[in-house]
Amino acid sequence: MSTGNSPGEHGDVLHWLYQQGKRRAAQVPGFDAEKLMGRARAARDAGAVDFWSVLSPVERSHFESAAQLREFPPGTALMREGERAAEVMILRAGWTKVVLDEDGQERVIAERGPGDLVGEGGTEPGNVRNASVIALGRVQALVMTTASYAAFIDEYPNVPDLVKRQTHERQTGRPERPWSWPGSSR
Amino acid sequence: MTQEPYGDPASLLRSVLADLARAAYGLLGHHADAEDAVQNGCVKLITAWPRVAGLATPGEQRAYLIRIVLNEALQILRDPHRRWEHPGVDAAERAVTQHSFEDEIQAKEDLRLVWKAIGDMPDMRRGAVLLRAAGYEYKDIATRLGIKVSTVRSHISDARKQLSRTLPRG
Repeated sequence: MSTGNSPGEHGDVLHWLYQQGKRRAAQVPGFDAEKLMGRARAARDAGAVDFWSVLSPVERSHFESAAQLREFPPGTALMREGERAAEVMILRAGWTKVVLDEDGQERVIAERGPGDLVGEGGTEPGNVRNASVIALGRVQALVMTTASYAAFIDEYPNVPDLVKRQTHERQTGRPERPWSWPGSSR
Repeated sequence: MTQEPYGDPASLLRSVLADLARAAYGLLGHHADAEDAVQNGCVKLITAWPRVAGLATPGEQRAYLIRIVLNEALQILRDPHRRWEHPGVDAAERAVTQHSFEDEIQAKEDLRLVWKAIGDMPDMRRGAVLLRAAGYEYKDIATRLGIKVSTVRSHISDARKQLSRTLPRG
């Protein structure tokens, strides 16, 4: 029988795949469950949402007046992994990267640009940042405190409040309505 | 083993991590890619947790997580630019048999068609086939997916027929 490397040279493709898989099964690497779970949470929280574009003009002007427009020079951190999350931000100009610290190595899990809401963890009191957000160029962001964001969401119940939905799920164990996180798949 | 369903995603992950690692690595042959597959599966698990928490048994929850990780691994496999970390015996074979450039292209195209066909299979059959391709025996596949061995057999048999139609030269 041929030892060729094409599945097409084998009568039984599945058997060919099985033998390849069996060879590798002996070398299975170990994974760290806590690290994987932490990264998965951060990746979920980094799901991109163009928040700004779904707001109405009234909601935008309210958001702007309740938030503070801040500027971040290239390379500076809008928020840092591990810090207490006390604010949410909407990027108005410039791009950022969402990064995790892995044993001193930086791992980029997402990029966020104008209109995106970052730091959703800051919409609930007592949260800690799952990831850092670093300015790639000069970045302008509307920064809102947790308390102001809660008031904003209360006033405009139609705003797609991701975090409220998450909180609802945690409390009731079921989704408020079907929802998939954009950008959560590869 | 407990009969109560898992109460949180992390404890479900811990209980099934060894299987996920083996299945993902068996398919991908690449440590970082396998880790990515498990991680992406965990993202899906967390977001779908309200639904997964409602499954009746821990076995169903484990089977669900295994299937989503396998699907993530399949997605990574179908990326035409990925590389193997441990080509294993195949690289040695390739060096000896000296396949032509055309053969290499043909092999890649064959493999692409195979993964595409597997990706289009119904959920359970795809799960059975991917575990088989990761080197698992029928009875292990049955345990992992929470189905009967005879069901695994018929999935694999159907898949084999389907795949031989995909690559008629075989």
